[in-house]
Amino acid sequence: MTLHQIRTVIAGLLLFAVVLFPAYAQEEKTSAAMTPELLEKIRKSNNECFACHSEEGFKNPPKVEMDLVKLRTLVQDTKAFNGSNHGLMECKQCHGQGYNDFPHEAEASAKLSPCEECHAVKVLKIEMQFDASVHAVNVKEKFTCNTCHSPHIDLIASKLIDPRKIVAQDNRHCLDCHDSDLQFAKFAPDDEKTLLKKARPNIDTIHDWLPNTRRHWQRVRCIECHTPEGKGGKILSHQIMDKEKAEKKCLACHNTNSSLMTRLYRHLIKEEQQKLGFVNSVILSNSYVLGATRNPLLDAVLMITVGALLLGLLLHGLGRIVVRLMQRRNNHG
Amino acid sequence: MAEREYLISLWIRVWHWINAILILVLTVTGISLHFADPNLPLVEFALSVRLHNIAGVTLIFAYLFFVIANIVSGNWWQFVPKPPGIMQRAMAQGRWYVIGIFKGEPHPHTPSKTTHFNTLQSLTYWSVMYLVMPVVIVTGLIYLYPEFAPDQLFGYDGLLPVALLHYLSAAVILLFMLSHIYLGTTGKTVGSMFKMMITGWHEH
Ligand code: HEC
Ligand code: HEC
Ligand code: HEC
Ligand code: HEC
Ligand code: HEC
Ligand code: HEC
Ligand code: HEC
Ligand code: HEM
Repeated sequence: MTLHQIRTVIAGLLLFAVVLFPAYAQEEKTSAAMTPELLEKIRKSNNECFACHSEEGFKNPPKVEMDLVKLRTLVQDTKAFNGSNHGLMECKQCHGQGYNDFPHEAEASAKLSPCEECHAVKVLKIEMQFDASVHAVNVKEKFTCNTCHSPHIDLIASKLIDPRKIVAQDNRHCLDCHDSDLQFAKFAPDDEKTLLKKARPNIDTIHDWLPNTRRHWQRVRCIECHTPEGKGGKILSHQIMDKEKAEKKCLACHNTNSSLMTRLYRHLIKEEQQKLGFVNSVILSNSYVLGATRNPLLDAVLMITVGALLLGLLLHGLGRIVVRLMQRRNNHG
Repeated sequence: MAEREYLISLWIRVWHWINAILILVLTVTGISLHFADPNLPLVEFALSVRLHNIAGVTLIFAYLFFVIANIVSGNWWQFVPKPPGIMQRAMAQGRWYVIGIFKGEPHPHTPSKTTHFNTLQSLTYWSVMYLVMPVVIVTGLIYLYPEFAPDQLFGYDGLLPVALLHYLSAAVILLFMLSHIYLGTTGKTVGSMFKMMITGWHEH
C-alpha cells in the first residue's frame, strides 16, 4: 500500500468514527428496549443520588458532615426528572463515575458529557443555527445549550403536546434571564461607551406595541417571533435573530392562515377537525385567537342577516321615494 | 298645538352623539379585528386594537353616565312601555311602517313631553340599552382583562364563550344601528328627526 492509500483508509476510518459512530450511538439510545428490570436498575442507581439531591434527601441527609448550604441549591425535582427527556437515564451516564461516592471526586465536574456526545446528528444542525444567533455572537463564552435547556426537567415539545405546557417551558428559559436583572447581568456584554454591563431593557417596554404582553407570554412563545420562518422542517430553527428581523406583523398569528399552526400547534395539527365549525379549531382548547379562530358558518349567517336588513331598508326607502314622486305627479296633474 | 316643542334635554343629545360616534368606531374596528386579513384591511390590526380599546372603555363611561343620568332625571320612565294596549299600539306602529307610511297616513304616535317614544321605540330601545349593551360591555371588559375569564369550559378555552357573546351582541347592535339610522328618516321630513337630536326641538 502506498502512503497515499494508507492516508485514504485512515481518513475513511476517521470519517466513520466521527460521523457514523455517533449516529450509531444515537440509533442505539432510542432503540434500547426498556424492560421493567432495566427501569428498576436505573431508579435504584438514581436513588443513590436522590438520597441527598432531592427535597426528602435534603431534609433527612444520610450524612451530617456536609455542605448543606450548597446542597440546598443542588436539590433536584425527582418527579420532574423521571418525566423528562432524560428520565430513563442514570445520572452517571452524563455525570460520570466521579460522583459515586461522597465526598465527590474533585475533578468530577469536568467529566460532564456534552450534549453532542449522545446527540451528534441533531447537535450538528442545531449548533450551526445556534452559532448564528444573537446570543452566540454577542454573549459567546457563557452562553451554552444548558443556558436554555434544563437537562433534568425539559420534555420535548412533541411529547408535551399541550401548547400551554410548551409555552411555559420554552418561555421560562427566556424570561428567567430577560425578566431578571440579576440573571441578565451575569450574561450581559459590556457597553462600549460606559464600559459597564449593558442594562437589561424591560421586556414589556420593548414590546409595548404588543397589547397585553403578559397574556401573550402565557399563550405564545418568544421563539415564534424571534426565529426565522421554518422550511416546514421538524425542528424550529435555533437562530434567535437580531431584533430588526423579529416578527412584528400581528396578522402572522391573528389570521385564518396563522403561523401558530406550523409552529406552536404543529404537534396537534393532526387533530384539527373543525370542531364546532371553527377553522383552526385545534387552537380553541388553549386559546381564542382573534382573527385566527373563526366560524365561517356563523359569519355567513350574520353577514346574510345584515345584507338582508340593508336590502329591506333600501327597498323600503325606494318605495317611499316612488310613492312621494307619484303623489307629486298626481298633485300637479 | 305648538308648532315646535323642546323635547330632548342637552345631556341626552350630547350623550346620544358621543354614543353614536363610539359605536361607529367600535363597529368599524370590531369588524377589522374579527375579519383580520392582510388582503382586505379595513383598519390596520394593531391600530384597530388600540382604537377599539379606547372607544370601548369610553363607551363604558358613557353608558354609566346614561344609566345614572336616566335615574336622576327620571328620564328612564320614557323607556317603559305603558299599559294598557301595548300590543295594539306596537302593532299599529308596525303597520304604519309597513303600509301606512306608503299611503301618506299620519304618524300613529305624536312625541310629547311625557312620551318621547312610540311603543316600538320604547320596547327596542329598552332591550338594546338594558339587555344587549350590558352584554357587549361586560364581555368586552373580560376580553380586555382575559385573566378574569374562566380558564377552561367544556374542554374549550374560557375566552371562547366570552368572544362569541361579544361578537353576537355586537352584531345585534349593528342591526339595531342600521335600522335606527334608517327609521330616523321617517319624521315629518327626512331630516327633521336628525335636526331634533341636534337642537332638541321637535317639529310637529
Ligand atoms: C451523601 C450525599 C450525596 C450523595 C449520595 C450524592 N451527592 Fe452530589 N453533592 C452532595 C453535596 C453536599 C454537594 C455539594 C458540595 C460538595 O460537592 O461537597 C454535591 C455536589 C454535587 C454536584 C455539583 C458539583 C458542582 O461542583 O457543582 C453534582 C453534579 C453532584 N453532586 C452529582 C451527584 C450524583 C450524580 C450523585 C449520584 C451518583 C450524587 N451527587 C450523590 C451530596 C451528595
Ligand atoms: C442528560 C444528561 C444528564 C443527566 C442524565 C443528569 N444530569 Fe445532572 N446535569 C447535567 C448537566 C448538563 C448539568 C449542568 C447544568 C448547567 O450547567 O446548568 C447538570 C448539573 C447537575 C447538578 C448541578 C446543579 C444543577 O442542578 O444544575 C446536579 C446536582 C446534578 N446535575 C444532579 C443530577 C442527578 C442527581 C441526576 C440523576 C437523577 C442527573 N443530574 C442526571 C446533565 C445531566
Ligand atoms: C449521555 C447521553 C446524553 C447526553 C450527554 C445528553 N442526552 Fe439528551 N437524550 C439522551 C437519551 C438516551 C435520550 C432519550 C431518547 C429517546 O427517548 O428517544 C435523550 C433525549 C433528549 C431529547 C428529546 C428527544 C430527542 O430525540 O431529541 C432532547 C431534546 C435532549 N435529549 C436534549 C439534550 C440536550 C440539550 C443535552 C445537553 C445538555 C443532552 N440531551 C445531553 C441521551 C443524552
Ligand atoms: C436561546 C435558547 C436556546 C439555546 C441556547 C439552545 N436551545 Fe435548544 N431549544 C430551545 C427551544 C425554545 C426549543 C423548543 C423548540 C421547538 O419546540 O421546536 C429547543 C429545542 C431543542 C431540541 C429539541 C428539538 C426537537 O426535536 O423538537 C434539541 C435537541 C435542542 N434544543 C438542542 C439544543 C442544543 C444541542 C443546543 C446547543 C447547541 C441548544 N439546543 C441551544 C432553546 C434553546
Ligand atoms: C409578537 C412577536 C414577539 C414575541 C412573542 C416576542 N417578541 Fe421580542 N421582539 C419582537 C420584535 C418585533 C422586536 C423588535 C422591537 C422593535 O424594534 O421595536 C423584539 C425585540 C426584542 C428584544 C430586543 C430588545 C432591545 O431593544 O434590545 C428582546 C431582548 C426580545 N424581543 C426578547 C423577547 C422575549 C424574551 C420574548 C418572550 C418572552 C419575546 N421577545 C417575545 C417580537 C416579539
Ligand atoms: C441567560 C440569559 C439569557 C437567556 C436565557 C436568553 N437571553 Fe436573549 N439575551 C441575553 C443577553 C445578555 C442579551 C444581550 C445581548 C446584547 O445586548 O448584545 C440578549 C439579547 C437578546 C435579543 C436581542 C438581540 C438584539 O438584536 O439586540 C433577543 C431578541 C433575545 N435575546 C431573545 C431571546 C429569546 C427568544 C430567548 C429564549 C429562547 C433568550 N433570548 C434567552 C441573555 C439571555
Ligand atoms: C406569535 C403569534 C402572535 C402575534 C405575532 C401576535 N399575537 Fe396577539 N395573540 C396571540 C395569541 C396566541 C393570543 C391568544 C391569547 C389568549 O388565549 O388569550 C393573542 C391574543 C391577542 C389579543 C387578545 C387579548 C385578549 O384580550 O385576550 C389581542 C388584542 C392581540 N393578541 C393583539 C395583537 C396585536 C395588536 C399584535 C401585533 C402588534 C399581535 N397580537 C401579535 C398570538 C400572537
Ligand atoms: C357596540 C359596541 C361594540 C362592538 C360593535 C364591538 C365589536 C367587536 C368585535 C366584532 C370584536 C371582534 C370579536 C371577535 O372576533 O371575537 C371585538 C373585540 C373586542 N372588543 Fe368589542 N365591540 C363593542 C364594544 C366593546 C366594549 C364596550 C368593550 C370594552 C372595553 C370592547 C372590548 C373589546 C375587546 C377587548 C376586544 C378584543 C380585541 C381588542 O383587544 O381590541 N368592545 N369587539
